[in-house]
Amino acid sequence: MSSEEQLKETNTEERFEFRTEQKAALVAEKGLNEETIRLISEDKGEPEWMLKRRLRALELFHELPMPDDWPGAPDLSELDVNEIVPYIRPDVDVRAGVDDWNELPEDIKDTFDKLGIPEAEKRALSGAGAQFESEIVYQNMKQQWEEKGVIFMNMDQAVRDHPDLVREYFMTTCVPPSDNKFAALHGAVWSGGSFVYVPEGVTVDMPIQAYFRMNSEGMGQFEHTLIIAEPGSEIHYIEGCSAPKYSKINLHSGGVEVFVKEDAHVQYSTVQNWSRNTFNLNTKRAIVEKNGRMEWVSGSMGSKATMLYPCSILKGRGASDNHITIAFAGKGQDIDTGAKVYHNAPETKSTIESKSISKDGGRTNYRGLVHIADGAYDSSTAVECDALMFDNESTSDTMPYMEINESRVDVAHEATVGKIGDEDIFYLQSRGLDDDDAKQMIVSGFIEPITEELPIEYAVELNRLIELEMEGSLG
Amino acid sequence: MTTQLHAAIDEPTVRAISESLDEPAWLLETRLEALDALESLDMPNVIRTPGRTWTNLTDLDFEAMIEPETAQEEKDQVGPDDIEVYSYADAVRERPELLEEYFGSVIDPHENFLTALSTALFTTGTVVFVPDGVAAQDVTIRTRMQSRSLFNYTLVVTGESAEVTILERQSSAGAVEGSRYYSGIVEIAPGENANVEYGSLQQLDQATYNYTLKRSRNRPYARTTFIDGNLGSRLTKTEVGVELEGDASEAKIIGAFFGTDDQHFDLDSKVWHRGAHTNADLVMRGVVDDVARAVYEGVQDVGRDAWDTNSYQRENTLMLSDTAEADASPKLIINNHDTEASHSATVGQVDAEDLFYMTSRGMSDRTARNMLVEGFFVPILEEITVDEFRDDLNARIAERLWAN
Repeated sequence: MSSEEQLKETNTEERFEFRTEQKAALVAEKGLNEETIRLISEDKGEPEWMLKRRLRALELFHELPMPDDWPGAPDLSELDVNEIVPYIRPDVDVRAGVDDWNELPEDIKDTFDKLGIPEAEKRALSGAGAQFESEIVYQNMKQQWEEKGVIFMNMDQAVRDHPDLVREYFMTTCVPPSDNKFAALHGAVWSGGSFVYVPEGVTVDMPIQAYFRMNSEGMGQFEHTLIIAEPGSEIHYIEGCSAPKYSKINLHSGGVEVFVKEDAHVQYSTVQNWSRNTFNLNTKRAIVEKNGRMEWVSGSMGSKATMLYPCSILKGRGASDNHITIAFAGKGQDIDTGAKVYHNAPETKSTIESKSISKDGGRTNYRGLVHIADGAYDSSTAVECDALMFDNESTSDTMPYMEINESRVDVAHEATVGKIGDEDIFYLQSRGLDDDDAKQMIVSGFIEPITEELPIEYAVELNRLIELEMEGSLG
Repeated sequence: MTTQLHAAIDEPTVRAISESLDEPAWLLETRLEALDALESLDMPNVIRTPGRTWTNLTDLDFEAMIEPETAQEEKDQVGPDDIEVYSYADAVRERPELLEEYFGSVIDPHENFLTALSTALFTTGTVVFVPDGVAAQDVTIRTRMQSRSLFNYTLVVTGESAEVTILERQSSAGAVEGSRYYSGIVEIAPGENANVEYGSLQQLDQATYNYTLKRSRNRPYARTTFIDGNLGSRLTKTEVGVELEGDASEAKIIGAFFGTDDQHFDLDSKVWHRGAHTNADLVMRGVVDDVARAVYEGVQDVGRDAWDTNSYQRENTLMLSDTAEADASPKLIINNHDTEASHSATVGQVDAEDLFYMTSRGMSDRTARNMLVEGFFVPILEEITVDEFRDDLNARIAERLWAN
């Protein structure tokens, strides 16, 4: 069976909406205080320095303002961090994650089977990780990569096994907790996530993937991803995420830090399908050295509100960035997403392509910042935003910001907003398609420039999610 | 609001201004209300990005810049006979009912700290009324500011199917030690199917801080064209906006700027589509040299009921110096899907190949560069239909280019 057929056969309800009655090994009290932070740190057997970082981040969280005074900022008033359970350790035998799906408790294995992860791992991945609630429960990488020195392990374990690397790179220069309120929250309660290390000159030819599943009502998931790509290396990291829908608010606040060394190339792809009771407030950032290349590919389909602006800091001469984002906001959703690029060296290059679709009263906003520093001569940036609106209840905003401090540059920004064309629909209907199929086809065509950049499995997944959105069968 | 106010920004000053103009009670009341509101009002919005504020208005020392009691200027107000052009003082005497109906009707005096300050302290201005069906060309208003501060108010009201072209110029005269402040509020109320063209050329001296807010609120089929040239001042914060309330109304905003030395321009073009079948076209072009900084915000806001909207915006900045800065934020806020909207923005330098070609033909670097910059402004100049204004702007740009 092809992956497309397989995905089509799986019913949505079963794929995303099911809940698992899973008893946890440890559930923290809801809310945020020093005691909770100490409990998390102790439960993980962390060294003192990590506990200190967490406590410092907690202080910053209390000091920093909510990001709600931005023009057109999503409404975060329903989010009360004191009502969120920050930490749930799943009840599994092996803390670091097993490397055989069959060793997982039946219901957790069943969860990931339904999501198609073991199947994808076999077919298209160099390695896979799976997080359930607050910790990674499965982690495996093909033998050949281990032999080449590639590390793909859960972040909690990396704190113990690679303290020097983690101490140097974890929330220091890339995403310090002082960056914003939710980065601070993340720094205080982070748990799980991936640590990826690619040695010099190694090209990992198939992607590695981590999947994050939030199963409990009212919890927060705060996984941390740290990727270090040494000079001349290459890796493609994919993350997927989902949760069943609840009436209470859930919170996802991930932290992603990517270090792209000289001549290295990292692609970071995300297909986000959080349930529509989830606030998704992430901080993702890459520091790119000389001639390095960073690619962010993001598909934002789910969540109640998303605030996500993956950032590349082009630090070395000739570094480059490529952003591809798709946002789809349906009923009750506010997807505020975009890109940030800092050109801090000469001959740096960035391209940002954004496609947004709003429907049934949903709102999309492209919010982006391109900064070209004084001295970053011979740099160029091109930003292209296109938005499609389905109906008159929906909203489509575009808010780019450009700060140009250097004259020898080429800066271009373009944006368009339009409705789905009546003539296009009429044409397709005259060819025998019904209204829904015609719209579906137009949307597929609209986002094709982006889906074609994705590995086939993910392009199919993204298309399938969009079909479901169009049918109104999600959420 | 933490801004320290000059001792003279108080009730006796406001009463004295109102009295000297022999204003009716409601105007005095309006001024006093604006004065009272100062405490609670904020500065006009400026863009903030992580770690940066695009224009710093809060640190301005108003105490040192404002002397309402010494306001002085030279003013010419000339218009054809079939329309009414008044100085503000004359309008108070002769058209009080017109003032009462329209003053503050397009721009809320309490919109921000600076509009309220202007309402409380303005001493001069121009009122233009164009009757139904009258077409008038060449209303010219020249303001030469002589004092430390000047608060200027302009009101343009037209009847149905009227047409008017107004050219306004601001400049400075006399030397004043320290900083100066110019404030200009322009309200335009075109009648149904009227056509208003309002050009403005700002050449204040580089000691002057300039706040200008120009806005038109359009009835059905009314069309407003703003042409806004900014060359002078130390710091300019300006917003030019059109509210397209009436069905099938139209807006065109054409902007040009040229910043040298340490000039700072914060230029906002805004259009609010509210009626059905409205059109807007926003174009801005400018050059920054030396350590000048240009900040541009363009907003195309399409309301829920603005069916069949067309809205376009273009912004292009040319950087002549490595130490200059150009910031831009063109925004689309779209709430009606029956919309065709686009915006684009570019920042770059004079094209190297063009430069090479021209120098290979024997031109000096400077001549070639200046000609290319003049060429860069051509698309803007071509949008300007009033010859006098176009030639004037062109000449001022050339003056700047060839001066140093």
